[in-house]
Amino acid sequence: MTTTPQIDAPAATADRVAALKRGGGDRSIPTTRRSRSEERFAWAMITPTVLTVGVFTALPILASFALSFFNYNAITAPHWAGLSNYTALLHDSVARHALLVTLMLTASIVVGQTLIGLALAILVQRRVRWLRPLFRAALFVPLLVSAASISVVMSYVFNDQFGVMNYYLNAIGLPSVAWLSSSGGAFMTIVLVVVWQQLGFTFIVFTAALSAVPEEMLEAAAVDGASGWRRFRHITLPMISPSILFVGTVGVINTLQLFDQPYVLTQGGPGTSTQTMVLTIYQQAFQDLRFGYASTLSVVLFAVVLLATYLQFRLSRRWVFYS
Amino acid sequence: MVDLAAGLEHQATAQMSCNSFMSRKAMVKMSDALVKARYSRRAFLSRAGVAAGAAGATYAGFGYRPGKASAASNTLTIGLNGTTQAAAALKQTVGAAFEKAHPGVTVNFMPVQGTDWNEYFAKILTLIASGTPIDATNIATEGLQLFAGQGLAEPLDDYVRRDRSELKGYFQDVHPLLIESAMYQGSLFILPTDFNCGNMYYDTAIFEKHGISRPDSTWTLSDFEAISRKIGKGNSNSVAWDWVVRLWGSWTSWMYANDANLLTEGRWSGGGWMWDTFYKNNPAAKGRKGGWNWGAPTANDPKVVEALQLMIDLKKQGYSSSPDLGGGTTLQGLFASNHIGMTIGGGFWAGGLHNAGMKSGQFDVQFFPKWATQKHLLGDAGYAMFKKSANKDLTFEFLKSLTSASAIGSLVNGNVSTPTRRSMMTASRYGATGPKHWQVFYDTLDKFPNTTPIPAPSYYQAMNNSFITRTTQAMASGQAKKALDALQSDLEKLHKGH
Repeated sequence: MTTTPQIDAPAATADRVAALKRGGGDRSIPTTRRSRSEERFAWAMITPTVLTVGVFTALPILASFALSFFNYNAITAPHWAGLSNYTALLHDSVARHALLVTLMLTASIVVGQTLIGLALAILVQRRVRWLRPLFRAALFVPLLVSAASISVVMSYVFNDQFGVMNYYLNAIGLPSVAWLSSSGGAFMTIVLVVVWQQLGFTFIVFTAALSAVPEEMLEAAAVDGASGWRRFRHITLPMISPSILFVGTVGVINTLQLFDQPYVLTQGGPGTSTQTMVLTIYQQAFQDLRFGYASTLSVVLFAVVLLATYLQFRLSRRWVFYS
Repeated sequence: MVDLAAGLEHQATAQMSCNSFMSRKAMVKMSDALVKARYSRRAFLSRAGVAAGAAGATYAGFGYRPGKASAASNTLTIGLNGTTQAAAALKQTVGAAFEKAHPGVTVNFMPVQGTDWNEYFAKILTLIASGTPIDATNIATEGLQLFAGQGLAEPLDDYVRRDRSELKGYFQDVHPLLIESAMYQGSLFILPTDFNCGNMYYDTAIFEKHGISRPDSTWTLSDFEAISRKIGKGNSNSVAWDWVVRLWGSWTSWMYANDANLLTEGRWSGGGWMWDTFYKNNPAAKGRKGGWNWGAPTANDPKVVEALQLMIDLKKQGYSSSPDLGGGTTLQGLFASNHIGMTIGGGFWAGGLHNAGMKSGQFDVQFFPKWATQKHLLGDAGYAMFKKSANKDLTFEFLKSLTSASAIGSLVNGNVSTPTRRSMMTASRYGATGPKHWQVFYDTLDKFPNTTPIPAPSYYQAMNNSFITRTTQAMASGQAKKALDALQSDLEKLHKGH
């Protein structure tokens, strides 16, 4: 049995505080020449990233926040607007509707891609393992193609009159669906297209997560008489819960910023049925030339993303299991 | 592909099961070094200050200087609504000719691509806001009043007056209607190089298949409906009629034919200098003034509602598909593959259909049918000089060079638009692409003097947004009046704000 050396904790803390007050580092940690060289190397490595993130992410975010207090049309100089953009937002039914549509699309897409991705991963992992390379490639290809290009192709696929979707529906005796020309159809089409494109990502994450579930644990449970569902519910699901949180969080962050598909396929229509927040921001900024107000919408969307992510992590404490 | 996906999966698996990579080891070491290197508040703030300063300096280096004037030099930067290849082609033709005539001068075309003019203008405005110096840019009717009304474009009046003898031949060759639509508040902002009226294209194979002969030039809405009935209700092969949701050439052509408009039509006073200088004895110039003045919205006028309701009814009856969105490429693809009997198109469709694989003779064009009137809609394009250009004289020299037949020929090469110069409308021009009745394009201006530009006030961008939203709303709900009441409300707000 080893004995832990006794440390006078308050005294040690006092020493460190004193060292910090002198302006030096924490002298209680020995600094060798090697570790200083490693530190310098580490700084050299992360500096380009810090600068890139600072210039292209942090500063634009700060600039957007500042711009939200101005009226700016990109032609004349910005002028101070105080909180008027924020009060205008409170009375803007279009922006409120866009936020609602965005949240509905996010819920539908994230649930869809998580459930289908998980179901496919389980199917491939447990039943048709030999098909894994084929599934992996087939589902991954759409991820490599730009969303705008896919949307252009999908505008042909989902064309009400000549699209292949309605062709096959008619071929099996079903009536045509107004995929892009009805409110419900357009919403469903956007969900289908995004879920289809993102499926490769969720499939790969879940396949990897399922591979990491210890076989011996599942076999032991089987020997103890646990049914397939119970093994999934009480072993597999808890073991892959961090991946579900990851897919859900990334999915929510991405989908709250949905733009390409509604822009190309529906331009937010019919009416405003697929009008997302980012599409509204784009239209306000680059078509209506209201850069200040668009920045206000961006700030609100940023807050929504932040809140959604915080809630996901907060709630994850109840159901995510870290082994 | 399989390798890439497999690699990602492997990496994800490895990270999940905490397998160590070589690089991971090094990374852990480095992060340890950073974590262990604890800093005092002063040390941390000094490092953070350096980082923020570096980031700020880099950011400032991008030049956030809205509306920055171009530096006076011998280089002209011209915004082009087109691809890099189109810019390279123009550089070799129009650019090279200008550079040869002006030794020491360089012309650079800056290609800016957009699905439509709306997107193109948005990008140009963003470039201006970011301080990119541009001397002149390609604009169309859609953006003329946007750029002129916002004080971005330079009126060309003084330059045109100064060089009137050189420009006389150009103006004599260009229909006054095209010039009037290039004016705003009595001033000229572009020397139009190309234009497009909303005519009716038809698929000759579909017409022949259903025993339909070429419609007469005075055909009416009833004739159009009779042809639609002959082609029959939509099936998986073809529909009688299709269109794109946009201000130029959509249901708006029917609105014009019903003698209505989204905004009150008016004309700016002034412009007499133009008509007196170049069109004194031209009867087509009689009564023309200083450009189109778009007044109070009239979007829910019964005649406007009637026009949109016609589209809804055609769709309900099965004679039309759901309209296309965006720049019209899907519609062009469907037409080129013989799925559409009739659609609205201008001269630019000739080149577009040819590029999409249609041969001369497979499609033809006629005037738009008469309803209450046979008024056509119009859009023209050219190059506007920016007020902030530091090379104004040189820029105008370049704009002037674009009015020559050879320059316009390069700009509309392959019939991607219709030349404004009447003398360029020849059988040989349309020999390769078609249509057979190419005369329709310019005859529209002569035979229908009430041809009117699309309603594009200085708030065009926002108006177009609302127009698309309300049109798709009407087509989905089947309620034209309700959607147009909403459009009227949107436009009233925009009109009031400008």
